[in-house]
Amino acid sequence: MFQFNPYSPAVDADPFPFYKRLRDDYPAFWSTEANMWVLSRHADILTALNDWETYSSASGNLMDEFPGRAGATLGTTDPPRHDRLRALIQKAVTKRALDHIVEPTRAVTNAHLDAIAGEESFDFVTDVSSKITVDLMVYLFNLPKDGQDIMRDKAVLMVQSDPTTRSKGPEHMAAYKWMTEYAANLIAERKKAPGEDLMSQFITAEIDGEKLDDREVQMTVTTLIMAGIESLSGFLTMFALNLADHPEARRQLVANPELIPDAMEESLRFNTSAQRFKRCLKKDVELHGETLKAGDFVCLAYGAGNRDERRFEDPDIYNIARKPRGHLGFGGGVHACLGTAIARLATKIIFEEFLKRVPEYSRVQEQLPWMPSTTFRSPTRLDLRIG
Amino acid sequence: MSKVTYVEHDGTATEIDLQDGWTLMQGATMNGIDGIEGECGGSCSCATCHCYVEEDKLDLLPPMGEIEDEMLECVVSERRPNSRLSCQIKMSPALDGIVVELPEAQS
Ligand code: HEM
Ligand code: FES
Repeated sequence: MFQFNPYSPAVDADPFPFYKRLRDDYPAFWSTEANMWVLSRHADILTALNDWETYSSASGNLMDEFPGRAGATLGTTDPPRHDRLRALIQKAVTKRALDHIVEPTRAVTNAHLDAIAGEESFDFVTDVSSKITVDLMVYLFNLPKDGQDIMRDKAVLMVQSDPTTRSKGPEHMAAYKWMTEYAANLIAERKKAPGEDLMSQFITAEIDGEKLDDREVQMTVTTLIMAGIESLSGFLTMFALNLADHPEARRQLVANPELIPDAMEESLRFNTSAQRFKRCLKKDVELHGETLKAGDFVCLAYGAGNRDERRFEDPDIYNIARKPRGHLGFGGGVHACLGTAIARLATKIIFEEFLKRVPEYSRVQEQLPWMPSTTFRSPTRLDLRIG
Repeated sequence: MSKVTYVEHDGTATEIDLQDGWTLMQGATMNGIDGIEGECGGSCSCATCHCYVEEDKLDLLPPMGEIEDEMLECVVSERRPNSRLSCQIKMSPALDGIVVELPEAQS
């Protein structure tokens, strides 16, 4: 009997053979372990993303949801509330509002690359992607400078799950609690002395003449920090990994850095770091001979849709010239990633600098330690040898 | 399925078949029409899916909401009487054959 258990370490390490079975033989599959349906074909996922009235986010969008988050954040509300919340933040993160992050991003990247200069090998996760991402978020949200390492550790722990109990373990819940308290303190500070930053704008914002309620602000700030840190550093790590495994592609980027954005999109498709999110059905749906009932949860396996041969030719080949339009690496529809423009711009700058200074590198580990997570996929350590 | 034609600022016209119920923004971004960006995924909060709708189809469109009106104040290219956000226009048989022009810049 075929099983798809998103809690299993085998899926963390290599979900792709499972995805192929799902797409080919079980395009609407009930996973008993996850207690939800799984959609894996590109077309089905896109249809779901374009139909928030049927596929609702208001009961949560993380595979393992946190208490109190459903209904209270951008990622976990439906329109029209969602759109009003999003409009409050969107203008600060559109492409045309982001010029100010270019130089700070370049500067923190070089500072952390200075620290590994002269080394034979380094861990891309600890030494590069985490450090740069945390610095960038501290800058973006104007966060306090102390306690940064703890914040990163908590953000990473928050998104994990325990493979044996198939739920969040005590350490994951504790990390979540830590982050909500961190957010609460931050909000209290900003209320006293609002600044120009994104957080302050959001905290003081009103919808239809009403202030956002405290829980909404706290949960949204918690999510922004988690999403910003973990999604971006996880993706940067996957990108570095792809370029270690495909030296030809890397050399092309070194010779012609203008190709970095195309390669980034291909990595989002090929090794999707945000693998799976969920929705809850508002009405019955007939799909591939199954009846998905109102109230059932549905997993949208973006990582599977991105390898769908019905949509992408030779999907298992990493091809930086592909320009994979319509990939699901940032999700899609009204919940498409808010940080898309930030992530694209930051990745471009970080890899311009990184490849300038470390043009030749290779993997040290044969087996990578994969993060135990039902939602995200990236290694917890990536040792790279320089030269 | 109904037809929509996008005319880019340089005059390039592309006709596509779009599933009813999908928005003109989705039709453009899924088919490689670069003149529409759609950064916010259609949640009416980025104003990067601005388009000019042919005059005689204007009355057939769903009326403009208050938020769309506000967002249209933030478009980069000139706002005209026939300006709309393409993520707020869902395809329907009544709109079959609609032509939209795309502005010079979205962001
Ligand atoms: C390469 C890095 C990133 C990837 C791969 C990524 C991926 C995603 C995906 C797949 C979703 C959709 C979730 C769903 O379908 O329910 C999403 C939503 C979101 N992301 Fe990102 N993300 C990245 C970076 C960021 C950054 C840097 C931020 C914040 C500064 C951010 C903030 C958000 C928020 C707030 C949402 C919810 C949006 C909504 O529901 O309207 N992300 N992200
Ligand atoms: S896609 Fe953002 S306003 Fe239309």
